[in-house]
Amino acid sequence: MLDRLVALAQRFSRPMPAVGQTPAREAHRENKWRLLHYVARPEGRAFRAPIVLIPSLINRHYVLDLMPGKSFVEWLVARGHDVYCIDWGTPTDEDRFLTFDDITDKYIGRALRVACRESGAPKAHVLGYCLGGTLAAIHAAVRPEHVGTLTLLATPVGFHDGGMLSRWTRTRSFDVRAVVDGLGNVPWQLMQSAFHMLRPTMTLSKATTMLDKAWDDEFLDGFFALETWGNDNVSFPGACYERYISELYRDDALVKGTFTLSGEPARLENLTCPLLAVTFEHDAIVPWQSAAVVMELARSTDKHRLHLTGGHVGAVVSKKAASGLWPAIATFWEDRDEACAARG
Amino acid sequence: MMTWDLFKQYFNTWENLTAKYMEEWMKSPLVLEPAGAWLSGAMKAKAQADKTIAGAWGVFGLPTKRDQERSLHALNQIQSRLLDLEEQIAALKADKT
Repeated sequence: MLDRLVALAQRFSRPMPAVGQTPAREAHRENKWRLLHYVARPEGRAFRAPIVLIPSLINRHYVLDLMPGKSFVEWLVARGHDVYCIDWGTPTDEDRFLTFDDITDKYIGRALRVACRESGAPKAHVLGYCLGGTLAAIHAAVRPEHVGTLTLLATPVGFHDGGMLSRWTRTRSFDVRAVVDGLGNVPWQLMQSAFHMLRPTMTLSKATTMLDKAWDDEFLDGFFALETWGNDNVSFPGACYERYISELYRDDALVKGTFTLSGEPARLENLTCPLLAVTFEHDAIVPWQSAAVVMELARSTDKHRLHLTGGHVGAVVSKKAASGLWPAIATFWEDRDEACAARG
Repeated sequence: MMTWDLFKQYFNTWENLTAKYMEEWMKSPLVLEPAGAWLSGAMKAKAQADKTIAGAWGVFGLPTKRDQERSLHALNQIQSRLLDLEEQIAALKADKT
């Protein structure tokens, strides 16, 4: 045990791995969010339609560009894709008034238009991860103009899943209006502690894994990069959170078809573009049943579900993802690239 | 090495059992209802305290924190509308040419 602790202490004395290293420029900036455009590989693009990645509102975007060798973005760029990613930035106090419509309609709409305009393709391949996928699906259902294909990665669609978060937000005593009135933006610490409650022994388990792999530098680098990301979260804009909880969690409005975006019905049955839903067997944050519901709701004729083992984050950034998940998603886009770039 | 492997084996068994038990316990209304009530109560108290402080501040005719937040939000909304207009103008120009 002591030798493991010494090995770990030596690892801690070295710098932590750098995250989000794939070179990118800022294609657009508005309020706190920005659209990043990753620099193409030297031999240029191999595919015409751009890819727009939409991460969760409460996590940093660089989970999709974790570290060299473990980056979905880096891998896509090397394959010849034109990749854009939304960085939601850090909301400040005034963003308590930012609504669900501002983010899902205005901001995502602008990101797609900028990506399409710059790349010269009329439509983009849109990938939403976690809550980012929920936003992407709602946007695509109401504003399909620039959505060529839609990929939903561990995306909650049905919110009455029996999980702890779903049950807690539906208790009579949980007053979401009071939370937003009291806090403005909902602090990430509050949400993180709720996530910790999903598996309260996780911290101990992580410590044991660290000790077990005390001599495995490659594993530890990935582990620390993921921990850096996991502890670098952002607060949830207040007005947006209130609607998220009251209509999506409590009313399950997406499944019932009663959700609206900027006053227009946001019915997932209006999704007609090629659709890929990725679900994970051991996902404790978004149970696969909650993510798979979109397959029943969407009217797309070209729709596929990829069900893999692994958890909410590990399955997206692990070594295994580079040989399984990433090629599967890229092939889905590449097979539809011409059609996506040609459609007017 | 043997001791560590044995420890890990016991730990994994304990962790799986404990996590399962705690997950079930955390989902119980006996935990969730009081947790919700505590959080909502604390937030209502905080909102009331903020309102009282803002009221006292307002007596001197000074803008409150909420006033400043509203103004900054309005500026952000104006920025978005300007960007909308720029996009529309660019589209009209493109249509003409």
